[in-house]
Amino acid sequence: MKRLFPVLLLLVATVTAAYGEDEYAFDERELGAETEKKPYHVGGFAELRPVESWLNRDASLYKLNFYDSTVGERTDEYNGRVQLDGNLEYRMVGLYAKGNVGGRRDYAGNHGDATLYEGYGSLAPVDSFRVHVGKESLKWGKGYAWNPAALFTRPKNPDEPELDLEGYYLARFEYTRSFEGPLKTVSFTPVFLPVFTGVNEDYAPRQDLESAAKLYLLLFDTDLDFIYSYSLSSRSRFGFDFSRNITTNIEVHGEAAYLTRVSKTVLDDSGVVSVRESAAASFLAGIRYLNEADTTFIVEYYHNGAGRDTAVMKRQYVSINKAYAFYEMTGDDGLLQKISDSADTAIAKVNPMRDYAYARISQKDPFDILYVTPAVTWIYNTADYSSTLSPEIVYTGVTNLELRLKALFLIGEQYSESGEKPNKTRVELRVRYSF
Amino acid sequence: MIKAIRLVTLIMMISPAATYAGDNERLLKEIDRNLNPQSYESYRKLINIEPGGRKKEFVMFSVKKGLEKMVVLFISPASEKGRSTLRLGENMWLYIPNVGKPVRITSLQSVVGGVFNNADILQLDYAAEYNVETVESKGQQYLLHLKAKTKTVAYDRIRMWADKERKLPVKIECLTEKNMLIKTLHFKTIKDFGGGIVRPSVIETDSPLYKNYKSIMVFAKLRKRVVSDEVFTMTFMPRVDSLRK
Repeated sequence: MKRLFPVLLLLVATVTAAYGEDEYAFDERELGAETEKKPYHVGGFAELRPVESWLNRDASLYKLNFYDSTVGERTDEYNGRVQLDGNLEYRMVGLYAKGNVGGRRDYAGNHGDATLYEGYGSLAPVDSFRVHVGKESLKWGKGYAWNPAALFTRPKNPDEPELDLEGYYLARFEYTRSFEGPLKTVSFTPVFLPVFTGVNEDYAPRQDLESAAKLYLLLFDTDLDFIYSYSLSSRSRFGFDFSRNITTNIEVHGEAAYLTRVSKTVLDDSGVVSVRESAAASFLAGIRYLNEADTTFIVEYYHNGAGRDTAVMKRQYVSINKAYAFYEMTGDDGLLQKISDSADTAIAKVNPMRDYAYARISQKDPFDILYVTPAVTWIYNTADYSSTLSPEIVYTGVTNLELRLKALFLIGEQYSESGEKPNKTRVELRVRYSF
Repeated sequence: MIKAIRLVTLIMMISPAATYAGDNERLLKEIDRNLNPQSYESYRKLINIEPGGRKKEFVMFSVKKGLEKMVVLFISPASEKGRSTLRLGENMWLYIPNVGKPVRITSLQSVVGGVFNNADILQLDYAAEYNVETVESKGQQYLLHLKAKTKTVAYDRIRMWADKERKLPVKIECLTEKNMLIKTLHFKTIKDFGGGIVRPSVIETDSPLYKNYKSIMVFAKLRKRVVSDEVFTMTFMPRVDSLRK
């Protein structure tokens, strides 16, 4: 017993020390491993995403998409993808790439794709100046769900606004200066985007050279961006955005854009739908508010000047229904194919109409449970009164693992945007592991 | 004559108060300087501990310049790597590589979860954000009662206990305008970082709002460093890693 006592004492002392202050030491050995900088980096994530969808067999877009398939009222799909990003840095020169390899199994079989989202070289001789040349996704604008002022960017999905977007091939220069006083930062960014065979062909319909410049100011604690672009084909665009924290828990933002020439689908007096080029103005206003219970509210209103009105949309849904009725009677799918191949399928795109409201409420750590964030997102089409409602819950309690369960409910009458979408309800689980 | 006597009396009454106020502000500035050089870089490990003992750790690299500029880069875990947060006075932004652009955040949000919020992670000098209302002498410690200079500061009131000899904080209570306790920071484990920097290397925090949860910040490789002002701009946020050596 006498021999055992010192051993126990030592054990207690060791355990106490292990759970005492030393437990949180960030010692030099640990530092070497955790803070060592390498000239290269490779990382990314692997993701699995099974989806179950309940379909609306009366919807126009169901008829257009599934008229020749055996899919019923319910369908499932299994998505998997690996996204890799890497960079190499040597003094003032850098290389960066981000790509995605994915596969999907659904009612139509197996599909696979590989996409290079970004891949560019950079030169940064000083902290205040840099040049990027290559494929890059520019994410301009301050809106959370939409960015009418953004240029050289693919439209984002307001239901998944934080998803990566594929970039365009461009050259970007950026010069930044800091000051003392009310004007704290000035940044000037000219960008050049060429369009020719094999390069950025999906950006413009013909060979072109787009040039743009963005002037950023941090003035009186407000972010301000002024954007102008001009193309060799004489298209001009003007953009403006701002963002400001008005208190410790309220942020306000807005965007506006004016395009001198944009393709608009219109319904003329004789009832014929046609595409015309004209000017369009768009804007967005939004607010983000965090209350004392850690609930975040994001509310935005978006007017899309190039969007379609309810009459045009209804006309197009009626056309699809007529083409489908013709197919059912004759077995001839020529009309449906024609609609499917034409620009009219733009109605199947995200938010093709003019006026939308967006609201998202998320609660961080409800009931003191860390790393759990439930949220609900509502997107409302103010013209046809249809909407989408997406509740979700995210768990990030395990290092590098994110679990998200999300549902989407589409609510709308016949000939409304959500009422004519092929889905009624969708439920998905996303499992993402970062490495 | 009576006016002159009144004026002299008034000056005699005001002078000590003014002197005390000046001394109190100087004391707070001295505490700030003992805690950090005005411009520095450091590594920090942030550990969130749940009631069951489960931990989540983040490693961050931070650079501060002058009174109001600070940027923090997340180095690990992999899910957070490349995120950066920037503070320029009361302006704060978060850059997430997947999102691809900096977005404004508010000081009361938390980019890491747990008890530390953005204002704790991007803490500037206390003297830059707070006025000293009074200082009490409590044995071996001072108790400083601080009041936020503006409404945009994360905590309206702070009670700071500071060691009289080292002039370093020992404990800080963060309070609302109505004196409700939001969280308590405990400064522990004095460490010599070299270059004359001797300060607590561990900050532990708990909060009545997060019962039984604890968050700990451990400092390492803290040293003086002055970088260009352009580092503290939104356009530099994707490149903060280039500052690491």
